Amino acid sequence: MWDLLVLDPMINGLLFAYDLLGNNFGLSIIVVTALIRLITLPLTYQQQRSTQKMQELQQSKRAKDIERKFKDDRTKQQEAMLKLYREEGVNPFAGCLPLLIQFPIIIGLYQALIRSLADAPLQLFELAGHMYDAIPSSLIPLNSQFLWMDLSQPERLFIPGIPIGIPVLTILVVITTYLSTKLTTPPTGEGQGAQMTQMMGLYMPLLLGYFAYTFAAGLALYFVTSNVLQVVQYAATGKIDWRGLLNITGKKA
Amino acid sequence: MNPQTRRPRRGAPWLIILLLPLLLAACAGGASPSSSWPGVATDGELAYIAYGPAIYAVSLVDGREAWRFHPEGDAASQFYAPPALDEEGILYVGSYDGDLTALEASSGTIVWTKELTGGRIVGGPAVAGDLLIVPSSNRTLYAVRRENGQNVWTFQSDRPLWATPLVDGDLIFLAGLDHSMYALDRQSGELVWQQELEGALADQPASLNGLLLAGTFGHSLNALDKSNGEIAWSVETSDWVWGNPAVNETTALFGDVSGVLYAVDEAGNSVWDVTLDGQIAASPATSNGAVYFVTEAGNVLARQVSDNSPLWEQTIDGQLLTDPIVVDATLLVAALNGEALLTAFNTESGAIRWTYQPAEE
Repeated sequence: MWDLLVLDPMINGLLFAYDLLGNNFGLSIIVVTALIRLITLPLTYQQQRSTQKMQELQQSKRAKDIERKFKDDRTKQQEAMLKLYREEGVNPFAGCLPLLIQFPIIIGLYQALIRSLADAPLQLFELAGHMYDAIPSSLIPLNSQFLWMDLSQPERLFIPGIPIGIPVLTILVVITTYLSTKLTTPPTGEGQGAQMTQMMGLYMPLLLGYFAYTFAAGLALYFVTSNVLQVVQYAATGKIDWRGLLNITGKKA
Repeated sequence: MNPQTRRPRRGAPWLIILLLPLLLAACAGGASPSSSWPGVATDGELAYIAYGPAIYAVSLVDGREAWRFHPEGDAASQFYAPPALDEEGILYVGSYDGDLTALEASSGTIVWTKELTGGRIVGGPAVAGDLLIVPSSNRTLYAVRRENGQNVWTFQSDRPLWATPLVDGDLIFLAGLDHSMYALDRQSGELVWQQELEGALADQPASLNGLLLAGTFGHSLNALDKSNGEIAWSVETSDWVWGNPAVNETTALFGDVSGVLYAVDEAGNSVWDVTLDGQIAASPATSNGAVYFVTEAGNVLARQVSDNSPLWEQTIDGQLLTDPIVVDATLLVAALNGEALLTAFNTESGAIRWTYQPAEE
C-alpha cells in the first residue's frame, strides 16, 4: 500500500520530471517538491488558520480567567482549556501538525530519491519493479550530479586550501528551516500546543540539519526548496510574521 | 505561568524528535541491508563467494568452509564482485572501498593489496595475460599488473562500470551503464570502437560466432560485430535485460526482469520463450543440452535447451540474483538473504547435495 500510494508515484514523478528537465535530477527534485507543496497547500492553509485561531483564543478573556481560576491545579486548568478549545473548534496541536504531516512525505521522498538514484545493483534492480511503463528505461541510470553535488551522497563542498569539506546544504537547511518556522508560525501564547510549537521551532532546524548532514544531498535539496517555498507561500498570503524572526521564545516581541 | 505546569508537557515533542531520526533511518534504506548480491567463482575444487564483509572459500565436495578472508579494522570492507582466478592459483577480489587484493586461492593468504579506485568495485576483475582488468563505479577501467597491482593504463567512461570485462584475444569488451559497449586494445587501453545502445549495460557480454551479445535496460538483446561494433541484429524484450546470455552451441538463452526467458538462434530468431514467476537478473548456465536458470523469487529451474521441456525445478529460500555455475555434475546457486548462502544441486535430478551458510565468528 505504501509503495502503491506514496513511493511509486514519487519515484515516477521524479523520473518524469527528470526526463522533462533535460536529465537534471536536481531540478527534478525542486519541481517535485513544488508539486508536493501545491498538493498539501489546502492542508497547510487549514492548519495555519487553526493556529491563528488558537493564538487569538489564548489571549482571550476566557483563557485568562481559566488560568487565574485554576492557577494551583494544573489538571483542572488543562481540562478547562481543552473544553474551551473544543467549544471554539480549535486544535491545540495545530502549530506542529503541518510539520508532522511532512514526515511521511520526507520518508517517501527519501526512499524515492535513493531508489531513483540507485548507486548499487540491488537498488537499481528494485527500481525496475517500481517504474511505470510510460517512463523510458533509457533514462536509467540517472545522472546524480547537480552543481557541485552528488545527490546520492551526503553533500560536502571541498575548497582548495581547506582540509575538510564544507556542508553547505546542511547550513542552508538549518538557516532556512529556522527562518521558515519563525516567519510562518505565529506566537501562540503559553498553552501545550504553544510549547510544542516553540520547541519545534528550536529543534526542527537541528533535526533537519542532522538529516541533511547524514543522508543523501537530494533530501537536503528538498528541505531547502520546501522551506523557501513555504516562506514564499506565506508571504503571498500577507500573514508572514516578520516580528517572530528574532524572537527565539516564540512570544510576542 | 505556574512552573509546575510546564515540566511534564515536554515529553511529547522530545519523543517525536528522538524517534523521527530512527524512523527515517529505518525506512530510508529500503528493504534489504545489502547493496548487491553475492559474487561467485570456482576453480573446480573450491567455490569462492564474495558476500558482505568476507570472501568465503567452500569445498565443492561437501560444502565445508576451507577458509575465509575477513579483513577487519581499517581494512574492513564489503565484497560483492565475483572474484577472478588465474592459472597460478591466485584469486583477485575487489571491494566496495575500491581496494584490490590478491589472495592465494588455496589458503586465502594475502599476496598483495592495493588501494585502487576510490570507487566501489561491483563488477569482477578479468584476467588478461599478465594484466588484470578492473571495472569501477568511479567510471574508470583499470589495467594493473597481476604480480603487484601496479597501474598500467586506465580508460574513462561516462557512467559507473558494473560489468566484468570480456577478454577476447587482443581486445577487451567493456559494457557500460552509459549505454555503450566499448572495444579496447588490451595492451594500451586505447579505444578501438564504441557502440551506443538504447539502454544501460550491466553485465559482461557473451560471445557467439564472431558476435558479441549484450542485453540492455532498453528492453533489448543486441548482437554486435566484434570487429567493428556494428549491430547485426536486435531482439526486443518485455523488460530490462540485466544478465547476459548463456550460449549453448548456436542458441543464446537469457531472461529479463519481468520474468520472461528467451531462447534465440545465432541470427536472432526466436527458438522459444516462456514467462516465469519471478524476475530474472542472473545469466543462466548451460551444460549437456540443459539450461539452468534462477529467478529472484527463489526458483531454480532446469530445462532442455532444444525445446524448453522441463527437467526439474526446485525452490529455495532467498533472492536468487547471482549467476548460477555448473561444475561437472553440480549446479552452484548463491542466495541473497536466504537460509543458505550457497546451495549445490545435482544437475541431473535437482537434488540438493549440500548447503553452505557461514558460521558467525
